[in-house]
Amino acid sequence: MGLLDRLSGLLGLKKKEVHVLCLGLDNSGKTTIINKLKPSNAQSQDIVPTIGFSIQKFKSSSLSFTVFDMSGQGRYRNLWEHYYKEGQAIIFVIDSSDKLRMVVAKEELRTLLNHPDIKHRRIPILFFANKMDLRDALTSVKVSQLLCLEDIKDKPWHICASDAIKGEGLQEGVDWLQDQIQSVKT
Amino acid sequence: MGRIRDKLYKSERGIASQLVETPARTSATCSGASLSRAGKLSARNLDTRASPQPGSFWALRGGWPQPVARVTPGKMAATSSSDSDGGKGESSEANSKWLDSLSDSMANIHTFSACLALADFHGDGEYKLAMGDLGPDGRQPRLKVLKGHTLVSQKPLPDLPAAAVTFLMASHEPRTPALAIASGPCVYVYKNLKPYFKFSLPSLPTNPLEQDLWNQAKEDQIDPLTLKEMLEGIREKAEVPLSVQSLRFLPLELSEMEAFVNQHKSKSIRRQTVITTMTTLKKNLADEDAVSCLVLGTENKELLVLDPEAFTILAKMSLPSVPAFLEASGQFDVEFRLAAACRNGSIYILRRDSKRPKYCIELGAQPVGLVGVHKVLVVGSNQDSLHGFTYKGKRLWTVQMPAAILAMNLLEQHSRGLQAVMAALANEEVRIYHDKVLLNVIRTPEAVTSLCFGRYGREDNTLIMTTLGGGLIIKILKRTAVFAEGGGEAGPPPSQAIKLNVPRKTRLYVDQTLREREAGTAMHRTFQADLYLLRLRAARAYVQALESSLSPVSLTAREPLKLHAVVQGLGPTFKLTLHLQNTSTARPILGLVVCFLYNEVLYALPRAFFKVPLLVPGLNYPLETFVKSLSDKGISDIIKVLVLREGQSTPLLSAHINMPMSEGLAAD
Repeated sequence: MGLLDRLSGLLGLKKKEVHVLCLGLDNSGKTTIINKLKPSNAQSQDIVPTIGFSIQKFKSSSLSFTVFDMSGQGRYRNLWEHYYKEGQAIIFVIDSSDKLRMVVAKEELRTLLNHPDIKHRRIPILFFANKMDLRDALTSVKVSQLLCLEDIKDKPWHICASDAIKGEGLQEGVDWLQDQIQSVKT
Repeated sequence: MGRIRDKLYKSERGIASQLVETPARTSATCSGASLSRAGKLSARNLDTRASPQPGSFWALRGGWPQPVARVTPGKMAATSSSDSDGGKGESSEANSKWLDSLSDSMANIHTFSACLALADFHGDGEYKLAMGDLGPDGRQPRLKVLKGHTLVSQKPLPDLPAAAVTFLMASHEPRTPALAIASGPCVYVYKNLKPYFKFSLPSLPTNPLEQDLWNQAKEDQIDPLTLKEMLEGIREKAEVPLSVQSLRFLPLELSEMEAFVNQHKSKSIRRQTVITTMTTLKKNLADEDAVSCLVLGTENKELLVLDPEAFTILAKMSLPSVPAFLEASGQFDVEFRLAAACRNGSIYILRRDSKRPKYCIELGAQPVGLVGVHKVLVVGSNQDSLHGFTYKGKRLWTVQMPAAILAMNLLEQHSRGLQAVMAALANEEVRIYHDKVLLNVIRTPEAVTSLCFGRYGREDNTLIMTTLGGGLIIKILKRTAVFAEGGGEAGPPPSQAIKLNVPRKTRLYVDQTLREREAGTAMHRTFQADLYLLRLRAARAYVQALESSLSPVSLTAREPLKLHAVVQGLGPTFKLTLHLQNTSTARPILGLVVCFLYNEVLYALPRAFFKVPLLVPGLNYPLETFVKSLSDKGISDIIKVLVLREGQSTPLLSAHINMPMSEGLAAD
């Protein structure tokens, strides 16, 4: 840490950094959500399927987020668990229009919650029921029922409906996440 | 119209046999009655087979019986559909290999495995399911397209579908696959799920007599009743069957005839065969997404290969019977193999450059499914068994199923390079086999009549099943699921894999083996000759022994005797005990004498000759005498004991006693 960094930290100018994991099946909109949360001049125009993972940064009112945007493709999902230790919060994105793979999302969530690095930590989980703009999308209530979210008793969680293309519902989720992280810290 | 159709089927031999001959096809084509019959059949099968299989069954593994599967009936009833490994593991949701995405018993889908096709028809990365649906009573054929859980389109088909496949027509971009549906005498090709091309089978030669009759009808030279009589005459005698038009005319009532003739007399008669099965064959590249030709099997015992772009017939092959299932491998322009399972219970294997089948596998039963796995052809028969064959017709293995096979298809897991066969059984199970090893069993709430596995939606390993009652079940293979091999009861025992410590083949061994191979007969003859000589010598010696009474057992009828001598002591004086026994049942023996013959230089006996008392049958008489060794050189000799009858010089029996060395003398 340089001298300037330390100085700005002391003065409260530098925001506290948190590591967040962004998980979810392929084509659920993880990269689009992260892209939309970045300042408008840093956003990229076209989103392509993520290979492996990518590290993105954005800032909220009081925190600086470092997001591990993991690839959701089946063959890369075994990479997720290697980053569980470093994550201080999890964003789990669900394609609400993909009824076929809701069970797959549920299974991946179950595997995530039963992982030894996650199981005994009180780590906040934010769910985005994404793609709300699509005609056959399920409501966030229905999604939380299908994923059995009410069974998560030992971790704070929150689900919000979102439309990542327009950016609707994202800020609400990030605000909740920020509150949770700060309440854990203090 | 229904009646016409029935009559039509009855009269036209070809089509009628299509519906009657193959059990698999009938169970799939005519849904209603015959399907429920299949269900009943399976119920009966279950009854007869239930008794030897209790809740837990045992398999011999490594010599010790171990419980390999424990199925609690209560649990089975509770879960609507579950699965278990071939070997161990209880069926519960947590350790199941499958995720239940959908189980809809009211989907109203009636089809069979050949009519299911998965592909990304629009090129948007979302794989859809196209199926040729027969309709609830086999009367409303439709092309249905499913996306995710929902039916996105359905279009009526002109005739019952026989098969549906997806194939790439051309190699240029965009590489979206086309869908081909075989229905009646035509193949309907759809691109982007829109009608694109219709291929009709070439028409067959018609009967000239029939043609004449219709020409006369056209010119009103013949009335409908005579026409009918003449046509019936042709139908019974002629070798060339009647056209569809005549067949439809024959069952009509008198009142309807006039109108039919007026309506159809101007048309020329045509005769066409129908497609029974269809598959794809790569054109000239072995890639996963290479251009493929369509291969059709027809009712007039032919196989046709179509060009993927122009839909011209590239090759025509004839078979001895009507093909029911087809399996292709290789590339059309390079080298290919076609396997056709036919209604006569045989599987014919054809190769490039052969118009006739090259190999024939006689199954001895009706085939109900044919799947090519790597280089093995897996055939299901109506005798509830799966057979594995090579493409040269060699049988590799056979596995018996617990119930009748209703549907079969290939399971290919690209990520793990696994290819296996799925077989849906009448006892509401779907079994997955890798060769003869049972990998997994899925229990379904209803018997499954069609199944396919592949990429659906965005998920790679999806299993789609339709049931007897028209239900639809979609299961997704878990990402972490691994089909363990060797856990099941099938397969060779592990001890078979242990390598024996066989010595290296030496030069001598090889030479000897070669010599044995070349001169085997001569060697055997020499051995036999020597063996006979040995036997002859033994027999001669035996006869000689009997003649000279050298044996210690006398078997003559008058004096059956047994002699047995024991020498006791260390020397120089030994005690010699002769045990003499009369082995006859009732007769005592009197008047015997015992005589010792010995070297008088070496031994001295108090009495070399004495009389034997009366021998009572069965009793053992010990006769003792002392022998003194005279030699001090440690030499031993033989003492002969002869048992004689008084007044006769030939002995009754004799014994040679090998005297031990005198140790007492040496000690002196």
